[in-house]
Amino acid sequence: MFSRGLMARSAAMRTLHSTSKRSLTIPFLSTLPPTPGGVKGDVNDPTFTPPPDKLHGSVHWDFERFTAVALVPLVGSGLACGADLSVVADSLLCSVLLAHGYVGFQSCIIDYIPKRVYGKNHNYAMYLLTLGSLVGGVGIYKLETEENGITGVVKALWNAGKEDKE
Amino acid sequence: MFSLGLNSGAFWARPLRAASRRMIATAKTSAARQQEILIAQRKNRPVSPHLTIYQPQLTWYLSSLHRVSGVILAFGFFATTIAFGTSALLGLGLTSSNLARWYHEKVPRWMDLTAKGSFAYLFAFHFANGLRHLIWDAGKALTLRGVYTTGYAVMAVMALGGSYLLTW
Repeated sequence: MFSRGLMARSAAMRTLHSTSKRSLTIPFLSTLPPTPGGVKGDVNDPTFTPPPDKLHGSVHWDFERFTAVALVPLVGSGLACGADLSVVADSLLCSVLLAHGYVGFQSCIIDYIPKRVYGKNHNYAMYLLTLGSLVGGVGIYKLETEENGITGVVKALWNAGKEDKE
Repeated sequence: MFSLGLNSGAFWARPLRAASRRMIATAKTSAARQQEILIAQRKNRPVSPHLTIYQPQLTWYLSSLHRVSGVILAFGFFATTIAFGTSALLGLGLTSSNLARWYHEKVPRWMDLTAKGSFAYLFAFHFANGLRHLIWDAGKALTLRGVYTTGYAVMAVMALGGSYLLTW
């Protein structure tokens, strides 16, 4: 009885281990050739420790918090006055939102398109994000100088179908 | 048994040594061969299990939803600003009123409701859960009880705030 239980258990373990031989990857992105067991080198190789870099460490963390904290009053005031922000407040909201989205997408790229698996595609994703953010910056300039800002766009879209109903 | 001296270590020492000598076999290998064995062994390592094996819990469900909601909202913001930026750079003449008219005429009712519903609820959630994260960053509510209390509070804000935004 004991041995049957043990056998069933080991069979279950086998299925668990053989269900997914390879981990999930993004289909259209090329990956680096996988190393056996995901490990590089031999047992005598020392562990590679990346050099300490404040820009990727504490400064980056602080910047993330800064954008998050700054968004609280900006978004809060936007909600409080019913999306009727001044140009200055709207510009601030847009800029901080862009920065917040930038660091957020950066974290996603680091997690889901890691350099370890995707090699150069990781860098290309980062360049694409930066390019998109720059064009977004131009868009924000346009929105603030010629339109009613991002709150104006949201308002216009939110009320686009309202005339029929009322 | 005692008279035969079977309990003395010296009695068993010789046969034990002989047996262990026979059971352990050593083989001479080269460093390159050892590396091959290591690589072959690493290929047998199990793949770490994916999210599906974990029990659904409020903690990591809200954490996932925070990222998903953030990505969806940021995607909307980036799409809008990039559209206006591209229009400004290429002179395509996109304006808020243009966009609103197109939205009003072309976007079907169900898509409009889906977009507004997701925006309202996901925005309320991301805003509230962002505050929760800031509370954690300040070192507060970092107990299991605190995590669950704030988690339920965030879900309440999502339900009420999202519904309120929809009535605007």
